[in-house]
Amino acid sequence: MIEAYFIHLLILVGIYAILAISLQLAVGFSGLLNLGHIAFYCIGAYTSALLALQGLPFWFCFLAAGFMAMVFGFLLSLPTNKLKGDYLALATLGFSFVVTAVALNWTGLTRGPLGLPGIPKPSFFGFSFANNFWFLILVLIIATASYLIIKRIIQSPFGKALEATRDDELATRVLGKNTLKLKSYSLAISAFFAGIAGSLYASYITFIDPSSFSLMQLIPVLCIVIIGGLASLKGTIIATVVLTLLPEPLRFIGFPSSVVGPMRQIIYSLLLLLILIYRPRGFFGKIELE
Amino acid sequence: MFTQLLVNGLIAGAIYALVASGFSLIYATCKFVHFAHGPVIALAGYFLYLFFSLLGLNFWIAIILAIILAAFFGLAINVLVYKKFRQRKASPVILLIASFALLILFESLILIFFGADVKTIGFIKIAKGSEFAGAIITPLQIVIIIASAVLFALLFLLMKKTKLGKAMRAVADNKQVSEICGISTEKIYNWVFIIGSTIAGVAGILVGLEQNLEPTMGTSLMIKGFTGAVIGGIGSVPGAILGSFLLGLVENFGIWFLPSGYKDAIAFIILFIFLLFRPQGILGKKNQSN
Repeated sequence: MIEAYFIHLLILVGIYAILAISLQLAVGFSGLLNLGHIAFYCIGAYTSALLALQGLPFWFCFLAAGFMAMVFGFLLSLPTNKLKGDYLALATLGFSFVVTAVALNWTGLTRGPLGLPGIPKPSFFGFSFANNFWFLILVLIIATASYLIIKRIIQSPFGKALEATRDDELATRVLGKNTLKLKSYSLAISAFFAGIAGSLYASYITFIDPSSFSLMQLIPVLCIVIIGGLASLKGTIIATVVLTLLPEPLRFIGFPSSVVGPMRQIIYSLLLLLILIYRPRGFFGKIELE
Repeated sequence: MFTQLLVNGLIAGAIYALVASGFSLIYATCKFVHFAHGPVIALAGYFLYLFFSLLGLNFWIAIILAIILAAFFGLAINVLVYKKFRQRKASPVILLIASFALLILFESLILIFFGADVKTIGFIKIAKGSEFAGAIITPLQIVIIIASAVLFALLFLLMKKTKLGKAMRAVADNKQVSEICGISTEKIYNWVFIIGSTIAGVAGILVGLEQNLEPTMGTSLMIKGFTGAVIGGIGSVPGAILGSFLLGLVENFGIWFLPSGYKDAIAFIILFIFLLFRPQGILGKKNQSN
């Protein structure tokens, strides 16, 4: 019993890790304060769930989820490329509301507030990951692969150009880099990983509805990225493990389940406020938000 | 049908404008996005519920108490939280994230103390609306329109005619120069939060009477308020009021073409169009977008 609970927690840590490092790529390494990250997660989850319910194999749904989110990430970046700071945050937040509104109202496709039940668990060429232990292995492999890929991207010349754009966009343009293109690619890659995280989530929980992707869900991820520290992958991973597990003892103190949800949000928002006041760089951060 | 939609649009617009005027007053003066304006609105409604429906106070006393508490609550947020950030010279983006964390924090607190179910204040018996040029309008809706018109007139007089209003505009225009002239900017910030939150309190009470109370009402109104403010020009209070009425009308006429659930999506599509082509809004000045 306790083992099953830990496996469940570790699966959630893995999914959150993918979500957080992908947001880190946009916010920390590219300086794009994207408050619409949950929308890509939502797009990935719905794409994957709808295809899987049609009987398509998992690997296909999984990749399709990533690519669908990537396309939307690229499309969102086109109009918002030139926006900065507050305006970019508001526009991406707005995008997130449009996606939730569509998920709620396009009942012909998404069944609206009823959600999509019975999403099949993944299986690869006859090998089923329905058992949570094997699912955990799958999540860990994908999370590690995402970590390595994003790390590779950051260390590549492309990643250096992204950081240069974040630090001084004008200077980077003077050096002959197309910063608008760089930012678009960054947002698209970030969205791809959020999409595959969504696909894992949908096939793990086997049920999704629009409320799984509300604004509230952004707080833990944003909290992880900022507390771990901007532009630090190591910090993000440590913060993911600590912060995902942190509110869990609440369940054992004996609060009713209707209180545990809001309590988690309170913990995350308080932590976020405190870190912003006393240590705005987070624990391993290299830069500060501007 | 046309006049009914027009009336509905005006009522929605009046409520959005109450939200947007306080929000944009704070943005214009303090230069950051105050998302926690949403919970101030929600709390005013919940205070009225607490005093009138639970404690049984006189209705008018309960209203006055709720508005005063909302004003104090706004002031307390500014003094206890935002002031700390200003002392550290935090960037507007950090304040934006902090105010977002505050929004989630207070919304979760309301959820814990009052529960997730919809609350009814129940002062106004369901009144039969009167016919007015082919549209049905209830007495409360007339009150909403009159109250907002009176408040906007008072706000206009305050900004243009009083010493405080002039000082507020001076700080909004140039903080350093107004400090040199002997204006205490911290004091002005406090006043701005008191005035903005008082208007928010009135909005919360009117919405509470018209549509009942939900813990998430603050967030949804805040979103509409800032959409209205961005459309009208985020740093300009008359612009915010104009933009909000425009938003209310477009949303309500939009249901002619789309199901009513898409109201939020319509709001954001307009927001996007403005962010793309006219980020300074209808009445905003161009240099304010930077």
